[in-house]
Order: sequence, then structure tokens, then C-alpha cells
Amino acid sequence: MIDSGLDRRDFLKVLGWGGAAVALSGCGNTSVEDGKETVVSYVEAADYVIPGIGVYYNSTCAQCDAGCSINGRVREGRVLKLEGNPASAINRGRTCGLGQAGVQHHYNPDRVREPLLRHGDKNEVITWDKAYALIAEKLSGAKGDEVAFLSGGVSGHLKVLLGNYLDSIGSKNHFVYEALAPAVVRAANKKAYGVEMPRYNINKAKVVLSFGADFLGAWVSPVHFSQQYAQFRKGVDGQRGVLIQVESKMTLTGANADRWIPVRPGTEGILALGIINALGTASGDIAAAVKGYDRARVSKETGVPPGQIDKIAALLKLRSPSLVLAGSAAEGYAHGSQNAAAINLLNQVLGNVGKTVEASTSVPFPQMAPAKGNTVALKSLNDGLAAGKYKVLFCYAANPVFTAPGAMKFKDHLAKAGFKVAFAHYLDETALQADLVLPLDSALEDWGTQVPEYMTEGAQINIQQPLMEKLHANTRGMGDILLALVKQRRAEEYKSFDDYYAYLRGAMLLNKNALGGSGADDDTFWNETLTKGIVKLAGSAGTLSGKASAAGLTLPVPSAADVQYPLQLIPGVTASLRDGRHANQPWLQESPDPLTTIVWDSWVEIHPKKAAELHITEGDIVEVTSRSGSIRAQAYLFPGIHPDAISVPLGRGHEALGRYAKGYGANPFQILDAVFDQETGELAMHETRVKVSKTGQRVVVVKDEGAAGGKQMGRKIAVLVTTDEVDLSKEA
Amino acid sequence: MHRLLRLSILLMGLSVAVSGYAADAPQPTLTTEDDLGPQVVQPIEFPHDRHAGLRNPGDPLKGGMEIDCMYCHTYARRSAVAGIPPLQKCIGCHQSIETVRNKPRIQELFKYWDAKKPVPWKKVHDLPDFVRFNHERHIKRFVEQQNRPTQEACGYCHGDVKQMTVARRSKALSMGWCANCHQKDHPVTAAGGTPVGNQAYWYGFQKPVADAAGGEYKAPDTNNIKAQGPNDCWQCHK
Repeated sequence: MIDSGLDRRDFLKVLGWGGAAVALSGCGNTSVEDGKETVVSYVEAADYVIPGIGVYYNSTCAQCDAGCSINGRVREGRVLKLEGNPASAINRGRTCGLGQAGVQHHYNPDRVREPLLRHGDKNEVITWDKAYALIAEKLSGAKGDEVAFLSGGVSGHLKVLLGNYLDSIGSKNHFVYEALAPAVVRAANKKAYGVEMPRYNINKAKVVLSFGADFLGAWVSPVHFSQQYAQFRKGVDGQRGVLIQVESKMTLTGANADRWIPVRPGTEGILALGIINALGTASGDIAAAVKGYDRARVSKETGVPPGQIDKIAALLKLRSPSLVLAGSAAEGYAHGSQNAAAINLLNQVLGNVGKTVEASTSVPFPQMAPAKGNTVALKSLNDGLAAGKYKVLFCYAANPVFTAPGAMKFKDHLAKAGFKVAFAHYLDETALQADLVLPLDSALEDWGTQVPEYMTEGAQINIQQPLMEKLHANTRGMGDILLALVKQRRAEEYKSFDDYYAYLRGAMLLNKNALGGSGADDDTFWNETLTKGIVKLAGSAGTLSGKASAAGLTLPVPSAADVQYPLQLIPGVTASLRDGRHANQPWLQESPDPLTTIVWDSWVEIHPKKAAELHITEGDIVEVTSRSGSIRAQAYLFPGIHPDAISVPLGRGHEALGRYAKGYGANPFQILDAVFDQETGELAMHETRVKVSKTGQRVVVVKDEGAAGGKQMGRKIAVLVTTDEVDLSKEA
Repeated sequence: MHRLLRLSILLMGLSVAVSGYAADAPQPTLTTEDDLGPQVVQPIEFPHDRHAGLRNPGDPLKGGMEIDCMYCHTYARRSAVAGIPPLQKCIGCHQSIETVRNKPRIQELFKYWDAKKPVPWKKVHDLPDFVRFNHERHIKRFVEQQNRPTQEACGYCHGDVKQMTVARRSKALSMGWCANCHQKDHPVTAAGGTPVGNQAYWYGFQKPVADAAGGEYKAPDTNNIKAQGPNDCWQCHK
């Protein structure tokens, strides 16, 4: 809090009179910059470049991996605004707030601009030649399996090139890590439906029962789902769709639901089985498996009143088809796979498979299909690092020092790697631990292809192309870097490609016929591809397999209360900050959280009842302690959370990354316990138990909520007076 | 104490502002007399008179070449901003005009071209950032619709450029000066066509008027006021 005598009202007065002063002095007839400002013309200008008129280019949003196509407005050589490309079946011309902030990724003042050799805390600027030579030197001293490559989800030609590079080194250690990937749900889907990510038809469902899937906010492909959701609400056959959200912490989707059902954390699967039982339509082994889940028991274990269970079952019976979704809140437990399996089973019992759950199409180039990130990769990398297995480690599009659970001690283990290379946009926490930091082009400066994991109608390959010239001379595209590195080892094979652009163009032209360009000459096909920004393919439709079965389904009884750590920590995934990689984009920091309206800071969501028990009021700085560590943040009383749980949003609490991220808020990743899903080995994100204690400090929570900022009523701050009524002499 | 101090700073700021206002030049008259801007020193002293000036039939080497303004300022008819011609444009002609190739200014020009660097021209006509003047609309109206000579149309605001070497601002380009034309040519009329006169700008603002009894103020009945678009505030203040 600002602790000076200048309160908000005085501040506004100064602002008001100051503004008046400026306005008055500006009333003269002199032009403002005559003869002072320089106007710079083009040296050579293309015909279509007209100052003041925008030119539009299609590309692909790189803010998350949903693969929305974007259309950027470029004026006077600068990209100004991104909108969705209407031709894409994924986002149909829309973008989300995260996508809108993409320009701030590009223009970010904290981007790394030169290759840096790090000596302790000092950076030495080196040339690219020296950087490449250094990598070659380090690699020559390492065997193939002593080299590891950690990356976020990659797809398209970059994935192919990366695979070839690792192959040339002789390394099989490609760790694809995404902190917030729906990996458990993928595995459960694979079992139940035969595909990892089927196509969900929210728009065809009459009831959507979502177990913590925040499909309007941050789950899988939110822009696409939001549009389906709009159709779903308009209704099939004039019947407005009903959304029921089951989760322990209210998400944006939960806030939009007709019925929001707070469930005891971790008992989502039990509720799903309880609903199957209440439906009474199952037979065979399924009926046998759910027999014990009568409403009394389910109600006792989940905390959902028996009447609610009956109502849900009745609604699902009445309206078909419906759609049941398993989201991150259900999968984040040690028995997450079981939860997801129980939820998928409900879908099968309801007969939704083939109606609202359909087989997705895949791109006919399996080598370009996305390498999907998960947290198993982090664990095995971490184990390898702890054992000192790796002499050279590359890191791209992942920030594990920030996102790995504190209990894994990733930062300490990382230090055991011999030589660490980070390909980075910013000096984030992981790049700060690296020995060599190589600066990347922004997503709006780089070439690439992307194949989205979640495919909508048909299959598509997205084209990423530069919207403007590079801002900084010494950044490079990831593709260009990989090409230079692979040339070190297989010069002969890649000598015909001067740069990644040539590689990309060559690779696309090679498959021209399969990409829908048969008959067209090379230039026409290529230019059309770039103009559209999307290559639409018929794709091969997969088939759903697997029959409903309850075999192997065992759900644990909810554990008894933990006296020392009585509360469950639910790491909140917000639509704009996600895992925190974009936290240095100030638009994302300043856009209020949709549920709490808090900006620029972290908070601890706590149920008012629980808060009263602990004598916590809004704005108390509380300490959240788990077995793995503790963080401090402001308390926010929120009825949309289970009384036995608290939630802290992810993405803030950076110690590095940049000026808009460093020092804002707290990082709940830090205090997560290393608990894993028993079946898949994925990190169980919701399995950390904590206690909350007051620190005695208090702040005013900065939020939009409430009348005039929530705190001004009764303080005569926002009194309505006209300027001629203001008597400054009485204000002393 | 702090409050008093702050108050005095406020009042001082206000008085400075007011005196600053009083010291400014008076509002321009309703004619477009010249109101010269500062002399601007340019990196290359570009002779507008030589390019756009009238021909001298007696001695073609002395007179101008009557080049249309929009031959070089080609963006004016296509965009809100007129832009500065790309260097390419200058070179396009000058690379084949051998007679002046060795003149110091042309040599200077080619130096920029060889280095592929733009000439850092200084801005001569500038409006505050909150004013959006649209060149294209004015060219459309005067040159394309009314078929007036380009030099005349451009000259309404830019003065007699064909007489100048380096351009110099010669009109006030203030709001009053702009509105001067707009009021004349797009009068705001009440029902029945009676001009409302200088209430033009208030059209969008709904200036309060006294009612017949002279007592209470109320917003004017905007249904009876017919303003042309060009008199709306938002035309320039987007």
C-alpha cells in the first residue's frame, strides 16, 4: 500500500486540475511538433504499403497450443492488432484475451536480444558463431544418451527437425513437458474411447456435465469450446442446453453453469459412479461395480446432497444426448486416472459416445503430429538430472525451474547437468540457470507450422509466418537455430537449405499434392498457403473403440481429515496466466480475474465459513504452508470454493522473467508436493495439503469488484459535485 | 500542512496555465490569411518551386515543372496521412536527369540512396495527436468531385507551396481555422433550413440552450438540428 498523505481523492484532484492546465495551455494556435519531429519515409516501398492503411497477414497464435489462426494488422511495418482468422474451424475468427496479448510478447521490453554466455550471475554477450561452436564442442565430449532435450509441446516441421537433430546426436532423451497438460484425461480417453483426444460436441449436447473441465477458460481449446457453448445455450431443437459443473473450486465455466456443485476434493469419480447408480440403466459388470455407490454413501463421501444426485440423474435421463467431461480438477489426484475413468464410464452409460464424443481426425503426416507434453517427462528428466546423467541439456519453451513442484527440487538437480543451453524469449527462471542463453524470435517474427492437438472438423496444418521485420537484429527463429545445429552434424543432408524458411517451403512443396496443391505451380501454391495461413486437409478420421467396462475401477474412500494440514490446495488455472509463461505481458496482469476481479497479485481463495473459523478477513496476508514449503498472499473470501479447500492461482510469483512479472504475487508451484497419479505417473496437482495461518499483515485487495472499487462507499470519495461547486479552501 | 502545500501547488499550476493561455496568439480571423509557421531547416533543401512551380516559357531552365503534387505525395488520395514520398521516388527520376546530377543537393540525395537510408526530413505540418485529419476525404471532395486543380486544393491548407523552396507552414491549422471552412460549407440548420450558425460543433455535444422563458437550461431538440457529418466533433476527434 502507498503510505503517503496523498489519498485517492487528492490524487484525482491533482489529476483533474493538472489536466485542465494542460488543456488551457494547449488552446493556442501553434502546432505541436512543427520543425521538431522527424518524419521518416520509406527508402523503397512496396505498392501495397500505404502509410496509415493496414495490411493484414494470417498466421497462428502461439500463446497457447490450441492452434487458433490469427490475422494481424500491420501498419507502417509494425504489427498493431491481432484478430482471429475466420477461415479456421478452431476459432472461427475469434481470439481470447491471452491471444490478444500476443503483441505484448512481441514488443516486450524484457526480451533477450543477444546470445548470452552466463558466468554465475554475469552475462557475456557472444556471437552466434561462438555459441554454435560452443555447443558443438560440448556435444563432442558427450555420448548420445548424455544429451537431453527438454521442450514444451512441439508439432509440425519443428518437431521433425528437432527429431532429426536428436537423432544426429544419437540421443533419445526428448522430454516433452507441459505443466498443465490434460495428460491423465488423455490416458483415460485412450482406454475408454481408443483415442487420446476425441472431438467433443458441446453444441450437440442437451446437458453438459463437466467435472472440473474449464472449457470456457483454459481447458484444451477454449475459444473453440466457447463458440460451441454459445450454440449449446441457444439450444438443440429449441431446448436450451443445461450446464452442470462439478468442482471444488469455481472456474469461469463453473460461474456460467446453471448448477454449480461443490464436491469434496478428489471425490469426483465417486459422484460419477453415484450418478450411474442413480440412473439405474447400467447392466453387467458396470451395474455390479456401482452397486455399492448408493446415494447415502455417495452423498456422505462427496458432500453433495442426495437430492442433487437424483436431480442430475433425472435430468440426464430426460435429455439425451448429453456430454460428460473430465477436466483438470478431476485428474489432479493420486487416483486421477480412476476419477477420469469413472467419468468416462458415465459418458458411455449415457450412450454419448458416437454422438457428443466423436472420433477426431488426424493429419495424414504422423511425423508432424504434436508431441504432447505431460509431467511424467519432468519426473524422468528430474530423476536423470539427480543421478547426474546429463552432460548437455537443452531447454526450449518450458520453464521447469518455475513450474516444477518445490518438492522435486528441480533447480538443485538442474545444477548437476554439465552444460545447459536455454532457447529463450526472456531470461526466465530456467534461463537464469543456463550456461548459454540463445535469444529467440517472437512468435510474430518467426516461421513455422503447427498441428493442433485438438482437431475440430477435418484436419488442419497451421502456418506461422512473420507479421513484421524482426525487432532485434540478433534474435533467431527456433527453426533456424535447429537447422544450424543439425547442419553441424549432417551438413550434406541439409546443405540445400539456407534457412528454416527454405526448409519449410521445400518440405511443404515436396508434399504439395497431399496438401491440396496438386496442379498448382510451386509459387502459386506457396503464396496461397501463406495467404490463407491454414492448410485444410481431409485428414483420416479415426474410429472410437473400446467398450464400456468397469474393470479395474477402484476409487479410494476419501482420506480422513489431516490434523496438521487440514486443507486441500487447489492450484487455480486462470484463462490468462495459465502456467505463467506469459506473465510478463502486462495486459494479462492487469486484466481482472473473471471471478475475483483481482489484478496484479496473487490471492488465497478461502470459503467465508472457513475464514471465520480461522479469523481471517479479506486482505489478511496469510501464510500457506505445505509439507514442501510455504508462500504468502492476500486472503480473498470466496463462496465458490469447497470449505475444506483453498485455491491460489498459478502463473504469478516469478523471481525472474521480466519487469511485469518479477515480484508480483506468489508461486504455488513452489509448495506442491511430489505426488503422482498411480496409473500414469502424472503429477497429481491437487494432492497437496496445506495449513493457513495469519501473519498479522493486512492490505487492501486491489480489485474491480464492488461499488467504485469496493472500498469507497461511506468514505465520501466518489461524491458527485460539479467543478463550480468545488471549494478548495474548505478542503484543507 | 501538506494539504496547504499541495493546494498552493495546484493554484500555482492553474495560474501558470491561464497566463500561458492569455499570452498565446489570438484566435485567427475567419479568412484564411497566412499564419506562418517556423522556418524549418531540412537535411536537403528540397525546392518545391522548381518541381511544382509554373513553367517559364522564356527560359525553361529557370522556371518550374508544374509537377502535380500527387505525383510525389501519392498517398494523400489513398490514406488519411499524406506520407512522405519514398526515396525511391526521387531516385526514379533523378537517376536519368544527368544535367543536375552533380548539384550538391542531388549528390546528397544519392548518398542517402546508396546507403539505403531514409532522409530524416523534419515535420512541417503537424496536428496534435488528438486530431485526425483525413487527406483522402479532402482530395476526394475537392479534386475528384469538384474537379479543382490539385495545387489549389492542397493549397487551402498547405499554402502556395509552388512558390516555396523548403515547405513552410503557412496556415494556422487550429481548430477555429478548420471550423471556419466547415461552418461555411456545411452549415448546421434548424428545421426549415435556418442556419444555426456557430453552434456547429455543439451538434454532437448537445449544447444546453435556454428555453423560451429564459429560465431553465435543457438540451436542444436534436431532431430539429440538421448537421452535415463534417461538423461533428468525432470527425476529427475520433
